Amino acid sequence: MHSIEVAPKASTVEAQQVLHSPETGAHPSTVCLAGAPNAGKTALMNALTGGNFHTANYPGVTVTLSRGKTKADFGPQFLLVDLPGVHSTSAVSPEEVLSCRVIEGRHQSVIPDALIVAVDATQLERHLRFASVVARQHKPMVIALTMMDLLPRTQQSVNVRKLETAIGVPVVAVDGRTGWGAVDLMNTLRDVVSRPAAGHCSLADLPEEPVAAYELIRKLLTESESLKNANRFQLASDSITARIDHVVLHRVFGFPIFFAILVGLFSSIFWAARPFMDLIDGLFKQTANLLLAILPEGVLSRFLAEGVVGGVGAVAVFFPQIIILFFLMTLLEDSGYLARGAALVDRPMSYLGLHGRSFVPMLSGFACAIPAVLAARTIPSRRERLLTIWILPLMSCSARLPVYALLLGALLPGSAWKAGLALGAIYISSLLVGALVAGLISRLILRKRSASLLAMELPAYRTPLVKPTLRVTWSRASAYLRRAGIPILVISSCLWLLSNFGLGSHQPTTENLRVPLIASSGLEHSFAADVGRVLEPALHPMGVDWRVGVGLISAFAAREVFVSTMAIVFHVAEDPDARQNSLLENMRVATFAGSSKRIFTTSTILGLIVFFFFSLQCLSTVAVVRSETNSWRLAGLQLLFYTGIGYVMSAGLVVSLRLLGVD
Amino acid sequence: MSLLDAIHNEMYRVEGIAGPADERRRLLDLGITPGEELAVVQSVPLGDPLVVMVRGMRLALRRREAGWISVQ
Repeated sequence: MHSIEVAPKASTVEAQQVLHSPETGAHPSTVCLAGAPNAGKTALMNALTGGNFHTANYPGVTVTLSRGKTKADFGPQFLLVDLPGVHSTSAVSPEEVLSCRVIEGRHQSVIPDALIVAVDATQLERHLRFASVVARQHKPMVIALTMMDLLPRTQQSVNVRKLETAIGVPVVAVDGRTGWGAVDLMNTLRDVVSRPAAGHCSLADLPEEPVAAYELIRKLLTESESLKNANRFQLASDSITARIDHVVLHRVFGFPIFFAILVGLFSSIFWAARPFMDLIDGLFKQTANLLLAILPEGVLSRFLAEGVVGGVGAVAVFFPQIIILFFLMTLLEDSGYLARGAALVDRPMSYLGLHGRSFVPMLSGFACAIPAVLAARTIPSRRERLLTIWILPLMSCSARLPVYALLLGALLPGSAWKAGLALGAIYISSLLVGALVAGLISRLILRKRSASLLAMELPAYRTPLVKPTLRVTWSRASAYLRRAGIPILVISSCLWLLSNFGLGSHQPTTENLRVPLIASSGLEHSFAADVGRVLEPALHPMGVDWRVGVGLISAFAAREVFVSTMAIVFHVAEDPDARQNSLLENMRVATFAGSSKRIFTTSTILGLIVFFFFSLQCLSTVAVVRSETNSWRLAGLQLLFYTGIGYVMSAGLVVSLRLLGVD
Repeated sequence: MSLLDAIHNEMYRVEGIAGPADERRRLLDLGITPGEELAVVQSVPLGDPLVVMVRGMRLALRRREAGWISVQ
């Protein structure tokens, strides 16, 4: 097991220590697993490491690589690094660029001592051409021949021995999903590492130029008789995949099936996650209470209980949703359907300046913008990737749900179905507004269309296996926790301090004299309240007072914190069951200080909903966009853009509603 | 003729690829090389992209990309 985010040097040292066991001598530390996309690399990684791998962020490029030690059962261990799939060496997406750099030995921290190249047996020509790029580096390499079980479906047969002789590189047939052939692969790997290749490697002689390379590969394969093909071109009606495609890409049924799958996905995110969310919520509340009970009463215990545990808990409740989302997405991806979905929506997406693949991040965005921003990595062109990231904060994420629930409860009291309908309308509008923003930006600002290519492989359908799927789900979810957790912890701690400490000048007592500048105080005398009061003139057009302003500021830690802040500022009893109702009651009667004017009226509530609809009140998203785009400017611009639009729209709505006589 | 005019499930031979240099290179890398045989096997509900079978791979190509490929 390795620590999660490893500095390059530390990881090498660690690997050396692991691998220099007395009887094995100097084994290479790093073996990279390379291959074209859909070659079955992840399954292979799973089989070779026994599922014991982590995703780790390597410095330099913000692309995560999976790494893990090979299983001890296979003999002396190697450090295995899974490289992202490469479509072609004229790479465009950041993932492909990274893989090419590692393969060519130009990466500063991942230096392969040997490589395993995963080659799909059903598409030998194309995958061998990629393998030739690796072979040209003249490093010890083994070809792992995958998808052997699919060969009968495509009416082909491959002779592994003849293939090995023809290309001059050891070839081992494996099935990563069942682990079949893994022992063989590891033995061969050790052989090539300890005895550098003696024979001639014809694979390395292939030219870089694709036309000539493909011609030579075909010649090698036919002359050596290593590939027998009964039906070389595999027309539509021949395989199971074609039959499924005729249904899911059907002229009439294609979209209904697509939407049915999306609805299923959404309902499981919301309904199946519910009990787990309640459980986590309860656990964090109990931990906070426990801390308050066992620690001596004071600022520190309150900080730990409310700021740290409470703040992290507010976000941790969404973890079940994220896990279910990742699990279902991984299932869809492994089955092969996700690529079909991308192909289905590519046309409307490209009209908006997006890419077919943009639908995956947009979908994730309805759960949380953070994994969504990470999922945008698979979009090949930079322009489409950035545009997708740009509109993701608009997707109505789960953190907005409690806020909408509160505001709609206040707006439409006692009418659950109306509130439900309004919530549905908000969700659909967020998608439509996202489309509008993307369309406007791509047409007005990014008018020059840079290179964009779909050319996307539709992989063969396969039944996903449970264990590898769970494994991948966990590695993605834990990567999310790491990415989101630290900023959330820092931000929520800071905001707690801001809302609990003030300059202490409001009530000069002898006690305060000892701590003249900063003193623990109630929310009304806190820094947050000071900021709220400073902002009050700006809040005036929105029709709310500084207390709501404090709620809006605290929501930058995570949007749903708005609800708990409102409960504090409008003095709601601690009893959690009575909380929602009493908060609604208190909000209904709340008036501006020194007047009988109500704060929460139809216009101001609508204004607040519109504000939450647009504004990017999530500093964790800003942090993740920063690290994914490597640009503070873009992340900052996005924050100002959406929060600005939110403010203008909200204030505009309140002012115009009041002009129309709606209070 | 252009691949756009191809009859579904008929086999054609690639004559050449036009289009911007980077995109052309990428299509060549994917194995759509002059002389290679391919077939349009399906189009999705909105008529775009097309599903093309080449070198044992099902490839979704936008109509714009398919238009660069001339076949006979």
